[in-house]
Amino acid sequence: MATESIPTGGDPRRLLADVRALAHRVRLDQRVTWAALLVLGAATLAGIPFDWFGMRVSCMPDGSCEFARRGMLYYWPWALPLAYAIIAFCYVRAARARGLGARVWPYVITGFATSVVFPAGWAAVALYFSSHPYPDPPLPYWLFLLDRLVMPWGMIGVALLVLAWLERNVALFLFTVGYLAFVLFVVPMNNGWDSPHWGLRVGMALPQLISGTVLLLGALSFAAARRRHG
Amino acid sequence: MTAVTGPAHPVTGLDEVVHQRARLGILTIAHEGRRVEFGYLRTQLELTAGNLSKYLSVLEAAGLIAVEKGYEGRRGRTWITLTAAGTAALADEIGRLRQLVARVETAGA
Repeated sequence: MATESIPTGGDPRRLLADVRALAHRVRLDQRVTWAALLVLGAATLAGIPFDWFGMRVSCMPDGSCEFARRGMLYYWPWALPLAYAIIAFCYVRAARARGLGARVWPYVITGFATSVVFPAGWAAVALYFSSHPYPDPPLPYWLFLLDRLVMPWGMIGVALLVLAWLERNVALFLFTVGYLAFVLFVVPMNNGWDSPHWGLRVGMALPQLISGTVLLLGALSFAAARRRHG
Repeated sequence: MTAVTGPAHPVTGLDEVVHQRARLGILTIAHEGRRVEFGYLRTQLELTAGNLSKYLSVLEAAGLIAVEKGYEGRRGRTWITLTAAGTAALADEIGRLRQLVARVETAGA
């Protein structure tokens, strides 16, 4: 004799499967991942001229040069919040057009918080070294990584991780992990490529060009995937 | 006479308003989407407008959803949002369904 009754609404397994499938469908319909990557890629590329022309370089007679990337301070503190606001607007608009609301506030808050990290980090370092001597190179590796992480390109990765979590978007999560590994471990985002063939400004611009291109290629891939799956 | 003690069977606590496939679907979509338009619900749940309206009326009468009618341009739009009671009822239903599945699997093992 059966000891477990099946409720009148249907098989609980099937109901749970329906709930999961519907929630997944809604999340898919709310996503505009390609727009987020497009805006952040464009913001990265647009920042290159600010860094280029705003950089102060003073070279010594022995050939060594000192640089200060002031242009980044003029650009990123307003560019990142603006980018996140545009992305939030795109999400709300796209979801509304499909007949849904959008959960953007956690992303907007994270975006604005990560926007503050770079200028705050820069101010803290400037304040510290105004009364302390510069340490002898080489710097510890963790400090090097931290420097890259708090820079706008690292913070873009952190904001994308939050977006991936909000969207339960595994593809975006994997892309972002790859992007973060790229800007933290592979590309010298903080000190540029040092080459005798090109100057300091080119050495700084190239990593930004590459990371911006990676984001734009990501946008293209996500847009193509969305179009393919309808 | 023997008194039966122990935890109540998950079925005994099921809310008949929520424990229905279409109504559970409405609550799920409204929860995930924050707010949802009538047309989206109709498409996703493959319901007629009349049937969907009936389900919405039941949920609204139970205080689980709020219905807001408005216009976008000349087009009439009906938006549905989950109330706090609706969110709690959905969480409770999903919890009980999980318990049921766990019980059935334990009994079958």
